[in-house]
Amino acid sequence: MKRFKTTKGMIGIVLLALIALIAIFGPMVIPPDAATAMDMRARRAPPSLTHLFGTDQLGRDLLFRVILGTRTSLEIAVSAVLMSVVLGLPLGLISGYFGKWIDNVLMRLVDTLLAFPALLLALTISAVLGPNIQNTIIAIGVAFTPYLARIIRGEALRVAQMPYVEAARSSGTTDAMIMWRHVLPNILPAVIVQATISLAFAILAEAGLSFLGLGTQPPAASWGLMIQASRDQLDIAPWTAVVPGLAVALTVLGLNMFGDVLRDILDPRSK
Amino acid sequence: MTYVLNRLLSVILTLFLITLVTFAVTNILPGDVAMMIMGTQSNPEALAGLRESLGLNDPLLVQYAHWVGGLLTGDWGNSLIFKKPILELLSQKIVASAVLVVMSMGIALALAIPLGVWAAVHRDKWQDTVSSSSALLGVSLPDFFWGIVMILVFARWLGWFPSSGFVDPSVDFLGTLQHAFLPALALGLGLMAHLTRMTRSTMTGILSQEFIRVARAKGLSERTVIWRYALANAIGPVITIAGLQIGYLFGSIIVMESLFGYTGMGWLTYQALLNRDLPLIQDTVFVIAGVVMLTNLAVDLLYVVIDPRIRLG
Amino acid sequence: MKDIVSVDHLRVEFATDGGTVVGVEDVSFTIAPGETLCVVGESGSGKSVTSLSLMRLVEFGGGTITAGSLNFERADGSLLDVAAANAQVMGAVRGHEIGMIFQEPMTALNPVFTIERQLTDGLMLHKGLTQAAASARALELLQSVRIPEPERRLKQYPHELSGGMRQRVVIAMAMACDPKLLIADEPTTALDVTIQAEILALINRLKRENGMAVLFITHDMAVVAQMADRVVVMYRGRIVETGSVTQIFENPQEDYTKALLAAVPKLGEMKGKPAPEKMRLIGDEAARAAAAPAKARKPEVLLQVKNLTTRFPVKGGILRRTVAQVHAVEDVSFSLNVGETLALVGESGCGKSSCGRSILRLIEPTSGEVWIGGRDIGALSHADLRRARADMQMVFQDPFASLNPYRRLKDQVAEPILNFGLATGAALDAMVLQLFDRVRLPRDFMNRYPHELSGGQRQRVAIARALAVNPKLIVADEAVSALDVSVQAQVLNLMMELQEDLGLSYLFISHDMAVVERVAHQVGVMYLGRIVEIGPRSAVFDSPQHPYTQSLLSAVPIADPRKRRFGEDLAFKPITSPIFPLGHKPAPSTYTEVTPGHFVLSL
Repeated sequence: MKRFKTTKGMIGIVLLALIALIAIFGPMVIPPDAATAMDMRARRAPPSLTHLFGTDQLGRDLLFRVILGTRTSLEIAVSAVLMSVVLGLPLGLISGYFGKWIDNVLMRLVDTLLAFPALLLALTISAVLGPNIQNTIIAIGVAFTPYLARIIRGEALRVAQMPYVEAARSSGTTDAMIMWRHVLPNILPAVIVQATISLAFAILAEAGLSFLGLGTQPPAASWGLMIQASRDQLDIAPWTAVVPGLAVALTVLGLNMFGDVLRDILDPRSK
Repeated sequence: MTYVLNRLLSVILTLFLITLVTFAVTNILPGDVAMMIMGTQSNPEALAGLRESLGLNDPLLVQYAHWVGGLLTGDWGNSLIFKKPILELLSQKIVASAVLVVMSMGIALALAIPLGVWAAVHRDKWQDTVSSSSALLGVSLPDFFWGIVMILVFARWLGWFPSSGFVDPSVDFLGTLQHAFLPALALGLGLMAHLTRMTRSTMTGILSQEFIRVARAKGLSERTVIWRYALANAIGPVITIAGLQIGYLFGSIIVMESLFGYTGMGWLTYQALLNRDLPLIQDTVFVIAGVVMLTNLAVDLLYVVIDPRIRLG
Repeated sequence: MKDIVSVDHLRVEFATDGGTVVGVEDVSFTIAPGETLCVVGESGSGKSVTSLSLMRLVEFGGGTITAGSLNFERADGSLLDVAAANAQVMGAVRGHEIGMIFQEPMTALNPVFTIERQLTDGLMLHKGLTQAAASARALELLQSVRIPEPERRLKQYPHELSGGMRQRVVIAMAMACDPKLLIADEPTTALDVTIQAEILALINRLKRENGMAVLFITHDMAVVAQMADRVVVMYRGRIVETGSVTQIFENPQEDYTKALLAAVPKLGEMKGKPAPEKMRLIGDEAARAAAAPAKARKPEVLLQVKNLTTRFPVKGGILRRTVAQVHAVEDVSFSLNVGETLALVGESGCGKSSCGRSILRLIEPTSGEVWIGGRDIGALSHADLRRARADMQMVFQDPFASLNPYRRLKDQVAEPILNFGLATGAALDAMVLQLFDRVRLPRDFMNRYPHELSGGQRQRVAIARALAVNPKLIVADEAVSALDVSVQAQVLNLMMELQEDLGLSYLFISHDMAVVERVAHQVGVMYLGRIVEIGPRSAVFDSPQHPYTQSLLSAVPIADPRKRRFGEDLAFKPITSPIFPLGHKPAPSTYTEVTPGHFVLSL
């Protein structure tokens, strides 16, 4: 099991590193118009030496499209999760640390938001704002905020009751300093783990939004859009679904594996 | 009794907050609602007419009061795209979604509990690795991808199940189940992966407790220790976690019902969002949030029945 | 007579991520029928591993018996090597011929099953009884362990019972099938002292009545002295010494045993001594030299507490309104002199901890005054209170939780100094260095993190942190309770040394009467939020006046096998609830002065 965990962590890290490299440098390496260049003579071409992953219904190269999609998906997921951390961290920290009426009010609000399924909230926000990349980020970021706030609040509450916080208070440390020096460092591992897992969910959410046409819009490349386009040609060109599906799966798998191992390493309770 | 009363009061408050959030998300966000509905190229007169008919010229507070007043008196408004009273639409579609949600939850629990217990009992052994790895794989693929695969395999290639549509249970109950099966399976698989992980960690925690050691010291067989002593304690937490997944399910049905052309709440919500049918968006979003909240309440109350510590406390 | 158990060269290994770890090695001992064998040792000595091996329960914790034999004489007279027995045979032995009780009564019972179900399932399995017969036997068992209202208890769930009652149920479960051997693994460690006394007496009676042998695992030498016929001393997985209880206590052969015994405070050994004294630890020559009684000071009051009352709201109802109050601290008054120690003793829930926290205003008292050095702490504004904290510091019970795991020790000790702007830069470093020297921690610990230290070392860091701002008062809340006895003695000596050198005053909150006798100048006994008796240590210990103080002192096990006190069944008055309805106005505390300075609560 120990070996399984280490292997799992290594696979996760390698996958993530690879995907990050593709997202950052991929678009610079491929020919500038390669992803949009249509080749009407090679529509739905199966994987071959000229088109490694085959082509789609418009004869666009799937390898290049999936590389561009990596950039889009990661950009949206990372920004959205950052947004939810930036919003959720102060909310959860203040609620958990101060407790009392502040906690009651904030958590009542968060609980209400949690009654809205994240995907529904994201879809609605995106539909109202108008679907584009920026609004997709906002939609997912807002939809994920209550989840992060809940978890951070729980952690802050736990840490705020630790004797070392009481010790700090009894030696004259101010509330702001206690939060900064004692509470924040001790909840950070949980926040990092949660953010990693949220990234996986954000990738899935972006794919879902785009799949439904309420996320990234054509002609931009997105994994969700590519799967959507493959629906009507599954029988004749299954690779058009397999390629983007695999891209989502590998990314999410990498994030989950990494998150699991991170949790084992960082969670002080597991020591 | 006070506990139940307490919860009821909090339900009413939460429902009120849900209307506030729903209204805020659909109205206060920047952008002209009429423009959003009709598109930027529409003519000014039509826009003005729409504004008038939806009461968009009224102050927000009046609009909100009008909407909530309608909800309370049974006047839920008319859908712009279906040209029908929304209440009528909802009451049809919610049955379809209920079948789907219950079915997928059933599939997920029936698979997840044994698998999770199995992994916890053989913690750190190959059984655990197998269970953990498959669960990890399950949560890593979007459920609509599973849906596509299932349509391909079970509907197109094997032809065992219909690939799309919905049959009213009062007309043909078996047909309802047949139509619901593939989307329920696709939803259930993703859910199962999550619940397996949760069952495993809950059971692992319980198996390390003193009363398990005491049970073994009494000479009880491992089967009794695990499937009676330990599982009786795990059921409560697992049901709670499963209950929290209802929210996730109601999000996922939007994608899954659209993929399978399964005309339930998710499909209806999607049509509303796609066509910017504002009254329908407001009402479906409100109903879904309300249903999720009430399900969570039901699960909480169920927990009270299961766990004597809360029942008497 | 033939031994009922003979363990021969037992070796248990644990497979961990870091490789194989030996739990116990070369452990051999025997138990005769009707005999109590105590296995004693500090944490990590392997005493629990030994007892779990005898039940073959060690495997469920990842251990493997790799060598040796564990012979057990079964009811039919045949010998069974437990180490080689199969699962089926072990199932028939466990709970049938060997009963076992564990440390944590709060978690030892399955929370979702009734007491009846948990008592009867073993009976039905091993004795083949019908449900009705098993229920009748269960009732008998509850009666034999003297649980009040046994009929009602059968239908109850564990959370409805107190800790003491739960431990009685666990004992009843272990006794259900009349085992020939009872294994008790720290059965009283989690219990209050009066309940401990009751449980120990109960085990003694059951043993006498049923003629069974007892294997008793404990870390507490005083309990050993009270219970054992023979003793096995363990250290780091090996047996150090075996002998009869009088041999071990009066003529120990091994250095480790001697050191262990020297670190144990014996109730009553301070009789006739005017002032606290350090423990005479073996190898601690500094303590020996300084053992001379501290020079008398001119009494000067540092802390004065007047009518301190703290109540906590009990929330309930629809709007989470306050429906009742916990009267945690009720009209408490006392004073503490400069350079002296006042000990607050009492059992869990008596309000001693809340009292200490209320004085420091870590929780806000409901009413009353607290004066420290002529300043009314209760009247201070938020900002002034923060400044006043330099005079009063606290040391907490759990050395694992009272240090921030993510900060260097240096920074944690420096924090109070920085808070009050006492020093910065090189001066700060020098101060921290001095503090580490002061509590006798190596200087290279400064850059370490808490997880690299042992419990005793962490507690020294906590003391250094408390000392950093030169406080006048230190509230020590069960500061040595979580430590092994030898480490506890060292930390106690350090605290006493610091008191002599720096003129510190301690408010020493503890449940341990023997430790309190050693360190305190004044003792206050708390019960249900009030001080029921307070006075000079010798007065309170030598002539206790209040019935509660008397029962408390009679329940303390004495680390001397010639002073046994738990032969007959004991039943102390159970502590009532400190929760009262809103508007309840308790009578003020009034005291009678029996001798000068010795006050007893009038009833």
